[in-house]
Amino acid sequence: MNIQFKKGVLELCVLVVLCRKDFYGYELVQAISKNIDIAEGTVYPLLRRLMKEGYFTTYIQESAEGPARKYYQITDKGKEYQKVLLSDWTSFVAGVNTLIGREDVA
Amino acid sequence: MTKDRFLADLKHALGGMTETERREVLYDYEEHFRMGLAEGKPEEQIARSLGNPRVIGKSYAIDALLEESREGGGVTAASVLRAVFASISLTFFNIIFILGPFLGLVGVMIGLWAAAVSLGLAGVAVFLSPLAALITPRYVTLAGMNPAFLLFAGIGVAGLGVLAVLGMWKLSGLFGQVIAAYVRFNTRIVTRRK
Repeated sequence: MNIQFKKGVLELCVLVVLCRKDFYGYELVQAISKNIDIAEGTVYPLLRRLMKEGYFTTYIQESAEGPARKYYQITDKGKEYQKVLLSDWTSFVAGVNTLIGREDVA
Repeated sequence: MTKDRFLADLKHALGGMTETERREVLYDYEEHFRMGLAEGKPEEQIARSLGNPRVIGKSYAIDALLEESREGGGVTAASVLRAVFASISLTFFNIIFILGPFLGLVGVMIGLWAAAVSLGLAGVAVFLSPLAALITPRYVTLAGMNPAFLLFAGIGVAGLGVLAVLGMWKLSGLFGQVIAAYVRFNTRIVTRRK
């Protein structure tokens, strides 16, 4: 799949996943790469950018199994942005599916 | 690729960042490796799944550039323009303030060389003038002077000419070195990253 296309959708995926619960970096990357074939290292730059834009914050939490983990927590601004992206995506996919399904569309 | 290799390559690709930012970014990947290793994955496999550290480094650089341009008044890629203008103005500066004096100095060097060589040639001419007087008496105006004086004067002037040429030889070498040093210095400035 086209890499730029994936990157755009990746932003939506990260926000959608984080709306459900807080994730630590590795866990989030695994959750996404399990479903989408992408270089895992490209998720971290995206996380950093979205954090700088105020869509989520981070906190460090000790874990029982080992060293501390950096968790990502979505902000209200992030939730709003996720809604916008999700509705954009839904109407985009609906439009594409219409075009694919109907050969008479010019 | 090993963990150390990956982190070193990434660190290198993040060269333009501040030390604090670079540490923050590297921390994420160190943590990623730590957790992958804890799951029992080999370093090689974790690094492969992450992708090319140089490409990853570039995406941080692009984000930083875009962020900077947003802060700088909302013009997209303003910082790129700023960088281009910076290098153009440096070139412009070179043309006006360096090329001018440089050409002036080259002119002075040519003039000094011409003076030194003509001094030597004049000496030889004076030295030979008594002989010339013997061959074509009518055309040599110095023929009226004492031939012995002309011979010695000619040797003296030619000697001065030789000294002047030797002096110019040294001066030219020095001139070349100064120009070379300047060019090196300038190239460093132009190619150096912030």
